[in-house]
Amino acid sequence: MELSSEPIYTYADYLTWKFEEYVELFRGRVVRMSPAPARRHQEVSGRLHIELGNFFRKHPCWLYAAPFDVRFPRGGEVGDAQITTVLQPDLCVVCDPAKLDDRGCIGAPDWVLEILSAGNSPREMREKYQVYEESGVREYWVVEPDRAAILPYVLEGGRFVGRAPMLKGDQASPAIFPSLVLDLDYVFAE
Amino acid sequence: VGDAQITTVLQPDLCVVCDPAKLDDRGCIGAPDWVLEILSAGNSPREMREKYRVYEESGVREYWVVEPDRAAILPYVLEGGRFVGRAPMLKGDQASPAIFPGLVLDLDYVFAE
Repeated sequence: MELSSEPIYTYADYLTWKFEEYVELFRGRVVRMSPAPARRHQEVSGRLHIELGNFFRKHPCWLYAAPFDVRFPRGGEVGDAQITTVLQPDLCVVCDPAKLDDRGCIGAPDWVLEILSAGNSPREMREKYQVYEESGVREYWVVEPDRAAILPYVLEGGRFVGRAPMLKGDQASPAIFPSLVLDLDYVFAE
Repeated sequence: VGDAQITTVLQPDLCVVCDPAKLDDRGCIGAPDWVLEILSAGNSPREMREKYRVYEESGVREYWVVEPDRAAILPYVLEGGRFVGRAPMLKGDQASPAIFPGLVLDLDYVFAE
């Protein structure tokens, strides 16, 4: 038996909390999010939301922006008291309506985008990458406003494979939605 | 390989060359085996796009993009002539290049404040 000095919280606990700040739950551990994301983060996030929104209004998938709870069950345990990982991706796209309920999404979104800001620790980014990969997110974009870059990772045989970074000046398309073309000059405009 | 025919000359932050035939008194001619670029504010998207392409096309076997600001290393490994990105290696990790697995880097030290 694994001994832990920290309590293991579940989604059932999470539902009872009334914090002023946003929190995420990673394998039973509470992770506080930065009080308010940086202006640049919101600018880039907002522009991506507009670009994706225009595409997904005519596409049978659903687009959500944070704060939006995504529950990640492990081993088929979908009860609130069994779920120990709840994340709030900056943007995510879900194509299976069976994963959606009134509280958010349960199971892996098809596409997750995280926009980096100074508040993201290496530990947080390592854990998110692992959760998204293990749970079966088909494509994961790490967006870096500081260097006007997007790092795409595509699930192949259960593992993420990194594609070439997409940079300001490029037209960027996700591998899983090739007809969506993003103008990165707009997304990363100062 | 004449001087007047070569139009691309780069200065990687760090590089490793395993073939002595590529080395002369002026430097290296041809792709190093391993290239590391450490990002700073002065690197433009255009520069990083072009370096990635040059390293991939020329046959650099492994390319690391090092991001001091977020204590991350993005490794790309040449497979079938194309770079394939592996999981980012972050402060707190032990990092090894795919092509030199016996080398283990302590990223707590590399990225210590």
